[in-house]
Amino acid sequence: MRPLPLLTALALLVAAQPAAAQVILSRVRDLNFGAVIRGIATHVDPSDPVKSGAFQLTTANGSKVRVQFTLPSLLNGPAGATMPISFNASDAIASGVAPPSQPTSFDPGVAQTFTVVTTPTLIFIGGTVTPAAGQALGTYTNTITLTITLL
Amino acid sequence: MRTTKVLSALVALGLSLGVASAQAQSGTITATATVLSAITVANGANLVFGNVTPGVNKTIAITDAGAGRFDVTKAAATLVQLSFTLPTNLVTGGNNLPIATWTGGWNTVNNAGTATAFTPSAGGTSLPSIGANLFVFVGATVSPAAAQVAGTYTGNVTMQVVYL
Repeated sequence: MRPLPLLTALALLVAAQPAAAQVILSRVRDLNFGAVIRGIATHVDPSDPVKSGAFQLTTANGSKVRVQFTLPSLLNGPAGATMPISFNASDAIASGVAPPSQPTSFDPGVAQTFTVVTTPTLIFIGGTVTPAAGQALGTYTNTITLTITLL
Repeated sequence: MRTTKVLSALVALGLSLGVASAQAQSGTITATATVLSAITVANGANLVFGNVTPGVNKTIAITDAGAGRFDVTKAAATLVQLSFTLPTNLVTGGNNLPIATWTGGWNTVNNAGTATAFTPSAGGTSLPSIGANLFVFVGATVSPAAAQVAGTYTGNVTMQVVYL
């Protein structure tokens, strides 16, 4: 008899917590510079429909989210070779897939806060690689991480 | 006493359950770039029609002695696209000699006879993955008017090669 009120209190406590909103983040495509030539910097615009990297964010309309990239400064290539990669203040775009969302350009190097207008939302990223004149031939890669925090 | 302890435990549980956690998700993509050697394009041979007769069209096929040729070097086993800027007239002074009906062929060896045919255009022709050497042959037809002014007519044919 005595334990019953304790269990009832616990159940009420758990039930009082609001249901957590869901955030789903998925990869759409990699950032692919393709062929680059020694000594010639190559830029991919975030609006490039093929080469730009892209993520898809799904969460409730009206959600406030913090968007933060973790960006590399180098791509890693053959036999330990590295190649600089950089991102400028307009190398990212956030865009809902339906009206009234408007594409918003932003600096991927700075955490941003957005209010989701339509869902899903696509987040695109471009960048610039700068191969040296004597850059070793081959394929260079590194990881770009996007963290979405529901506020 | 017992009641107090139970209530304390409940409060502690409630506090831990009640913290509004900022939900976070992370995802990753890969940034990739492939460094290749530069493409070089050299004039292998000019497109030469030689003497033409007013009012008589003259065609140079890619297999003819006067065919034009570009010699290309690039990274082996890569895809490239060819695009052209083609004149519509050869010119001398203020006189035009129409040129059109361009023909082309590409090969990995300097042999127009076994070249793969294509039509040179500004729109671009994509080639399959081939070796480091590429030969591109070009032909066309000039159409001199019956009263075409005598002289040596010239024009530039430009080919651009890009990696895909």
